[in-house]
Amino acid sequence: MENLQFLLKQHVGVPCRPVVEEGEMVEKGTLIAVPEGLGANLFSSVYGTVKEVREDRIIVCPDKMQKEEYVQLSEGTPLEMVKEAGIVGMGGAGFPTGIKLDVNLQGGTILVNVAECEPGLCHNIRQIEEQTDMTIEGARICKEITKASKVIFAIKAKNRHAVEKLRAVLQKEADMYIHLLPDIYPMGEERAVVRECLGKLLDPVQLPTAADAVVINVETVLRVAEAVKLRKPCFSKNITVIGKLKGGEEPHVYMDVPVGTSVEDMIERSGGIDGVYGEIIMGGPFTGRAVNLEEPVTKTTGGIIVTIDFPDLHGAPVGLLVCACGGSEERMRDICNKMHGTVVSVAKCKQAAEMQNKALKCENPGNCPGQAAKCLQFKKDGAQYIIIGNCSDCSNTVMGSAPKMKLKVFHQTDHVMRTIHHPLYRRLRVSKQEEQLPGGK
Amino acid sequence: MSISAETAKEHAKDPAVLCCRAEEGITIQASNLEDPAIFDDLVDSGLLDLTGALTIEQVLGAKLTKTCDSLCPLTSDVVEGITAPTEKKDGKQQNVAYADGTDPILRTGSVQKDWTSVQGGVLKIHIGEGKDIDIELPVTAATPAESSVQTVPAACGAVQTPSADKIQDPEAETEEKTVRSLTRKHYRIKEVKRGPETKIDKDVLYIREGIEAECVASQELVHDLKIDIITPEEYHTYSETIMDVQPVACKEGDCELGTGVTRVLDGVVMMVTGTDDNGVQIGEFGSSEGYLDENIMWNRPGAPDKGEIFIKTQVTIEAGMNMERPGPLAAHAATDYITQEIREALKALEDDSLVADIEEFHQVRRPGKKKIVIVKEIMGQGAMHDNLILPVEPVGVLGAKPNVDLGNVPVCVSPLEVLDGCIHALTCIGPASKEMSRHYWREPLVLEALYDKEIDLCGVIFVGSPQINAEKFYVSKRVGMMVEMMDVDGAFITTEGFGNNHIDFASHHEQIGMRGIPVVGLSFCAVQGALVVGNKYMTNMVDNNKSESGIENEVLACNTLCTEDALRALVMLKNAMAGEEVKKPEKKWNPNVKSSNVELISNVTGKPVELVKNEQSLPMSKKRKEKYD
Repeated sequence: MENLQFLLKQHVGVPCRPVVEEGEMVEKGTLIAVPEGLGANLFSSVYGTVKEVREDRIIVCPDKMQKEEYVQLSEGTPLEMVKEAGIVGMGGAGFPTGIKLDVNLQGGTILVNVAECEPGLCHNIRQIEEQTDMTIEGARICKEITKASKVIFAIKAKNRHAVEKLRAVLQKEADMYIHLLPDIYPMGEERAVVRECLGKLLDPVQLPTAADAVVINVETVLRVAEAVKLRKPCFSKNITVIGKLKGGEEPHVYMDVPVGTSVEDMIERSGGIDGVYGEIIMGGPFTGRAVNLEEPVTKTTGGIIVTIDFPDLHGAPVGLLVCACGGSEERMRDICNKMHGTVVSVAKCKQAAEMQNKALKCENPGNCPGQAAKCLQFKKDGAQYIIIGNCSDCSNTVMGSAPKMKLKVFHQTDHVMRTIHHPLYRRLRVSKQEEQLPGGK
Repeated sequence: MSISAETAKEHAKDPAVLCCRAEEGITIQASNLEDPAIFDDLVDSGLLDLTGALTIEQVLGAKLTKTCDSLCPLTSDVVEGITAPTEKKDGKQQNVAYADGTDPILRTGSVQKDWTSVQGGVLKIHIGEGKDIDIELPVTAATPAESSVQTVPAACGAVQTPSADKIQDPEAETEEKTVRSLTRKHYRIKEVKRGPETKIDKDVLYIREGIEAECVASQELVHDLKIDIITPEEYHTYSETIMDVQPVACKEGDCELGTGVTRVLDGVVMMVTGTDDNGVQIGEFGSSEGYLDENIMWNRPGAPDKGEIFIKTQVTIEAGMNMERPGPLAAHAATDYITQEIREALKALEDDSLVADIEEFHQVRRPGKKKIVIVKEIMGQGAMHDNLILPVEPVGVLGAKPNVDLGNVPVCVSPLEVLDGCIHALTCIGPASKEMSRHYWREPLVLEALYDKEIDLCGVIFVGSPQINAEKFYVSKRVGMMVEMMDVDGAFITTEGFGNNHIDFASHHEQIGMRGIPVVGLSFCAVQGALVVGNKYMTNMVDNNKSESGIENEVLACNTLCTEDALRALVMLKNAMAGEEVKKPEKKWNPNVKSSNVELISNVTGKPVELVKNEQSLPMSKKRKEKYD
């Protein structure tokens, strides 16, 4: 087992402050860094020795022998234990859960996000199928902490097996329901979940509490249950490894991967990279970023994707359509570079609102505001190709005009979709309306 | 891109096209619809066929019966529950007509703006001098095209109120009041000679030999001055750039400018030309140097008439002073030394039998008619862009204030002061679109407005165009206040040149328009002078272009305001005041818009509008051949 790297910033907020020194022995569950402001506790995920404390990470050399036991959290109220456990939003956002749940919803709703919207990732659905009871236990705890009156699981209808499993268990749960989502990206966006389940469209700056709700990722819910029921600190992560791997492109789902494990380790466990590849993405095809093999798994890592090689545009002029659903402009430029394209035009989707932290948020996720004017811009700027990062609906709109203008369209997820044999994001062929279960059960 | 409810209202009559895929059964809202501003481009790209499309007002609130994809025009076979089109405007027009008691002119047809303009949030400027340069600027203000519908009702409200008051006093409508009068006595000159003294002997004008040295001595910056008498036979003479064309006129006795009697010489004009010591033309963007007959657009208000004799000075000023304010001013002042001596001779004439013609101008106020003001933007950026306001003698120098020194603030003058030469113009860049001093002497819009019995011209405001944007807005706000206090029903804004001055031109529209006063703008725009900025009050525009290709062709006065432009502007303003909507400009400059407007006007008034010739009627110059045509 290789050294593990614990990044001091695995969450929204400021980096943690290390509380261990080089040479110190640590156990699985030993507190190794604490927040300095907004943040969450960081625990060792292995038994071992602190090899190095760097500015941005703690490196731990693991013992050869690893035990299942871990250092348990001290007893407290459920909220205190969630805070103590260092749980953060595991869907990728990384907002400290102890702070998110420290709210009185006064009979509002806990929305458990099981959308698993990023194509190719499977660990959330697998969790629902395999750890149904513990997940429901976690949802119940969240509901009690926040004084919510009900729980809604938002899950895509296409996951029939998981839906049936959930349905069976929820029959005996009085205040828990299922809301079926259409198979459209980005149904898992926080405000999309609120809109779909509660019928209320929030402004990009509003939090779900404005709709008397808390949206919480399904894995986070599981970690809440583990913290409260098993007194277990948050030091492991469920991960899907998929892509151009020896042995095929089927997903490898790993439960409870120790935080700090390297990408290389995970890829090796999955068979290793199969020959020439394009890039390694950490996260999902839409919102993930390219990483190197040394990058460690964090509390927010969802997927590790090895892609096929990029097509070569031989310097052709490219327009980038940046939006909130896909990568940032930086990521789009990264992809364009890898395709040897020359960026001649950059447009931002009309609905992409810039937040204070410069991040983009969609004003109405998954409902297109029209893109023809952007395509006209690309054409005018001399682009031959365009790279888009749009949602299903916007991609469909782009396809309504770009090809007729002789603009060749790439989606930033194309190389991933081709790798995992998933349909490309182009035309939208499914309805946004999904028929709901009777009485939400 | 999807539109807001507000935009949908503005584009109520435009075709309804889905911006994105919309599913069967939805209620169509503004957010489902594509912005009509980009339709032209989409149609051009072959992306859109608007045949059979319903209008936006028809589909809003209706039900979509079939899932349709983006850029699908909504037709009656996919929409259920179409709202009947509303005829809101007719009612308003009726009100205006009755309240006013007069028949609004030309209700039969809307006049269309004839300018190139801002489209889809991007403004296209094309500069075709030598090599092609395309500039595109994002436009922050609403495009003129988008705002026409919205502006009209507001304007209607403003029009109705005073009209309703006036109808209670029907006598007031008929009573014309002459405020002041101006008499022009014309003296015919058939020959200009040099002689021992400056004098007028019957129809011969003598200019004193050796006066050149005194002219040079009078101005520190003037190093040389030559006088050429150009007769029609000598029109094919090379000349440096023409800096100004001026009438030779003086006031009789103690008369003040703009009133009393003015004497003027017919058949002769003063022409200021010049370079600096290094032979650099006193011009900036373009210059009209070359053979006179190839570079003068004859008979424009500001240009010489064919057949006239030119007393042409060729002034050489200190090197490098061509771009400094004192340089061109010195050239003008040195030339005026000669003109002043001629004025003295003209003043001294006692033989009334020499008067060939007498012209009477009356400043008539028509209470009860729609009150109009003309705002004329004049150049005030400094360098050679300045104007001397209100000299003692017509188009003189003495007594006048440079508008740059006045801070370019608006100055009110009477229409007769304009026609009596209250502006001595120092504008010589972009010769085709700049107003020479003579232009004001024969200003067509002032003349037409003054004699139009359907309106009440209250006066003319001159406002300078400063160099700095902050100053532009400073003076523009004063214009707004001034016009507000005048309680006018409508305003004209004219400008000369293009580019920089269009910033304040636009701001004047905004300042006046935001006060609920309908505005018609006159400017050279066409291709090269397309507006660099826009706002929602710039809905009514008349393009002064006459050139074949819509460009600054460096032919003197070619693209300046002529009678045909004044007539179109008058009709447009009357329409605007009656609440008529002026059609949106076409995407690209199209000279046919002007032709069809002119035809419309002729049809309704029964009087043909004669169009002036353009540079194509002149012998082709080498420069024009190489650079433009």
